[in-house]
Amino acid sequence: MTLELNEDTMNYTLLIYENAEAFALRGHPDVEKRRAYWAAWPPYAQALREAGVFVAGAGLEPPDTATTFRDPHRRVQDGPYADTKEQLGGFFVIDVPDLDAALEWAARVPVAAGSVVEIRPNLVPPKAEAAASTARETLEARP
Amino acid sequence: MKFSILSYESPDNFAARSDARREAHFGAVFRYIAELKSAGVFAGGAGLELPHTATTLRLRNGERLVQDGPYADTKEQLGGLFIIDVPDEATAVAWAKRCPHEPGRVVELRAHIQSPG
Repeated sequence: MTLELNEDTMNYTLLIYENAEAFALRGHPDVEKRRAYWAAWPPYAQALREAGVFVAGAGLEPPDTATTFRDPHRRVQDGPYADTKEQLGGFFVIDVPDLDAALEWAARVPVAAGSVVEIRPNLVPPKAEAAASTARETLEARP
Repeated sequence: MKFSILSYESPDNFAARSDARREAHFGAVFRYIAELKSAGVFAGGAGLELPHTATTLRLRNGERLVQDGPYADTKEQLGGLFIIDVPDEATAVAWAKRCPHEPGRVVELRAHIQSPG
């Protein structure tokens, strides 16, 4: 099994929290407003792909469509977990050299005013972490 | 249909990543991913570093403000997500219920917007 591990880059997740106005634009009765919302996303995703940094991404259906499961009985509730003003509306996972590069891409996310982008480094899977550590030790052990 | 299974975790769940519970904690996650893969429904995912490693960017009056820390001020914080591709919502609910549960963890299931075409 080959382990794909690029030590020069890391993955970051851009979490896009949208406010109620932004969610309302998705189905806005004014076709121009609705179109403007939807038209903004494909060029951004395309730019990520062209730069070779796109790993994954998804737009999420609105928070009121969410189903939430809570411990300990896996009780089912309608609606999202968080009771925050802005709600998760989608995300992108990107592969970039550092936080500065992630911030540059985050600043280009086509969000409307009032929305928020959270940038979080992704965990390096423990197996990859172990392999990287072994590789480093092997290199360091060389005379 | 694609869905995201969002895992919101308590401070204690995040602590389990690095204390004596580490192997059990990640073991449960890897077993779950293996189950998703063997069922042919795994479509991606991301484990996120601890909330305090987050950077938040806000747009205000046309200016972009950068702050340390996560967006949400909630007790549980997003710890990771699994993307699944399943025939219908009932199947998605069944998989969301199988997401490893630890006390404190809340799992939210959300459908992805269908790509046009």
